[in-house]
Amino acid sequence: MATINSAFNIISQALEADQSGLSIVANNVANATTPGYTEERPNWVENSPVEINGVAYGAGVTQTGPTSIRDRVLEERLDQQKQLAAASNSRLTALNTMQALFTPDSGNAGAAAGDIGGDITSFFDSFSALEANPTDNALRQQVLSSATTLSGDISNAAAGLNAQQAALDQEAAGTTSQINALTASIAQLNQEIQSNSPHADAGVLEDQRQQDLSQLSQIIGINQVTTENNGLSVTTTSGQLLVSEESSFPLTDSLVGGVTHFFVGATDVTSQLEAGGGQLGGYLTARDQDIPSALGSLDQLAYSISTSVNTQNNAGTDLAGDNGNAGDIFLQPAQVPGSAIAMSVVMTDPNHIAAAGLGQGTGDNSNTTAMANLGNQAIVNGQTPSDYYSNFVSTLGATVSNVRTENTAQNASVTQLQTQNDSLSAVNLNEEASSMTQLERSFQAASQVFTMINSMMASVLNLGEQATVA
Amino acid sequence: MQGPIPAQRLHPELKQLIVEASLALARLDAERLEELALSCQALNRDLEMAGVAGRAGLARQAHDAQQDLAVFGRVLEATRANLEVMHRIRALRAGRTPAYGGFEARLGTTHGDH
Repeated sequence: MATINSAFNIISQALEADQSGLSIVANNVANATTPGYTEERPNWVENSPVEINGVAYGAGVTQTGPTSIRDRVLEERLDQQKQLAAASNSRLTALNTMQALFTPDSGNAGAAAGDIGGDITSFFDSFSALEANPTDNALRQQVLSSATTLSGDISNAAAGLNAQQAALDQEAAGTTSQINALTASIAQLNQEIQSNSPHADAGVLEDQRQQDLSQLSQIIGINQVTTENNGLSVTTTSGQLLVSEESSFPLTDSLVGGVTHFFVGATDVTSQLEAGGGQLGGYLTARDQDIPSALGSLDQLAYSISTSVNTQNNAGTDLAGDNGNAGDIFLQPAQVPGSAIAMSVVMTDPNHIAAAGLGQGTGDNSNTTAMANLGNQAIVNGQTPSDYYSNFVSTLGATVSNVRTENTAQNASVTQLQTQNDSLSAVNLNEEASSMTQLERSFQAASQVFTMINSMMASVLNLGEQATVA
Repeated sequence: MQGPIPAQRLHPELKQLIVEASLALARLDAERLEELALSCQALNRDLEMAGVAGRAGLARQAHDAQQDLAVFGRVLEATRANLEVMHRIRALRAGRTPAYGGFEARLGTTHGDH
């Protein structure tokens, strides 16, 4: 009764295939909320036709195992965008902290800078007040008091920046162990995938590897290179090998000049990592570019004010009758670097303020006028002290604004790609196509909105040309 | 004959409209974006009928909204790049070049008599 057996075989194989397919569906449902889990679909393989009483009957199917629904190209694009978003995110956080430091009314405990812009004005105004009565002790005391407030706020701002730089250094150093744990895990998974599923999707193992890659992308900028037998190599964006198939190459860190540097083997890759993306890229950009730039500006401000004011004070006559050697008001810096944090008032006796011009007698006010005028002279890199500080704060604000714009766009891009990636697990191909259509429709409608608003804004602003988008 | 449109009717919407457009584009809300496109058309019509005060008010709003428009432009640019990637992925699949793993199997599955 081979024919009956054959028929039973077809039926039983179909039932087994159904059962197996249902198990895969059940597995999908059970893991619906498991992070990193990729939906699986049953693979059906058509069987050879069966002949019963000389008639060939349908083949029936066998279920040969699940296949995960994934697209490596899309996942890699998603990882790349996550790297960019993570970098701008950590840099933006650092820049916001910096900005709070220079925002007098921020209410932030870190706003140790006080109101440096106001301090500069008050300091030079105190000389203007002294002009009216150059021998008045209270007015002289006010000059020293204003100088103390100004130097204290500049010094505190520099200390705040140094503290933030040290904190970022710690944050950056803390990523090394996370990176190494993830690259070791990827190497281990490579080995398992290559031995278990060299020519097919590795299902859960591939999910784990993808999740590790996703986490790694949040921390550091990486490139992924698929190798044979489902292997994977991972490099930094500048090409240093972190994982090659079943081997991982740990990142190490050590202090160089008091600052954490990163190495792959013996190669210092710190500057490459800075430009590479991920949280680490953001930390390093803030630590090595944004903060040094702000500190440099403060140093220049402190150096120029201290030097100009001291020079002018030593060009006059004080109440004690000292001609041309009344002494310094501020601690005289030897060089620009470090001037801000060291800025302080060294004059304790207000009688040593040289209000009078040389040889003009102690009641004269001509040197006070000269010192007050310093506030309106281009003594800091070709700018007045107030303008220089104002430009510094504006530049910092513009940087924050630019990074925020980048960050918003990058996070939006990640959201979109995540939506597209999720659509791969849609119930059917129609839903997936619908997701693509949604992307296209959204882009077209948004383009219309942008074009109309851009045109309208150009019109009302009477720019003569349309606003350009950086 | 309709008189000039009050500034209040035109202006408060511009910045908010741009911010909303960025958010809608981030979450690919095509329906909302199409509604916003219609709003823009209406706003453009209103602008043509607006008096000097209305235009001046809108100019101030436009100035305030420049940064938001820059953000919207960047999101639009990112969307364009993502769209290109998705088109390439589709082309890869259509050409049966395996992007990876099972997607090809999914497209080509034969269920036989099952």
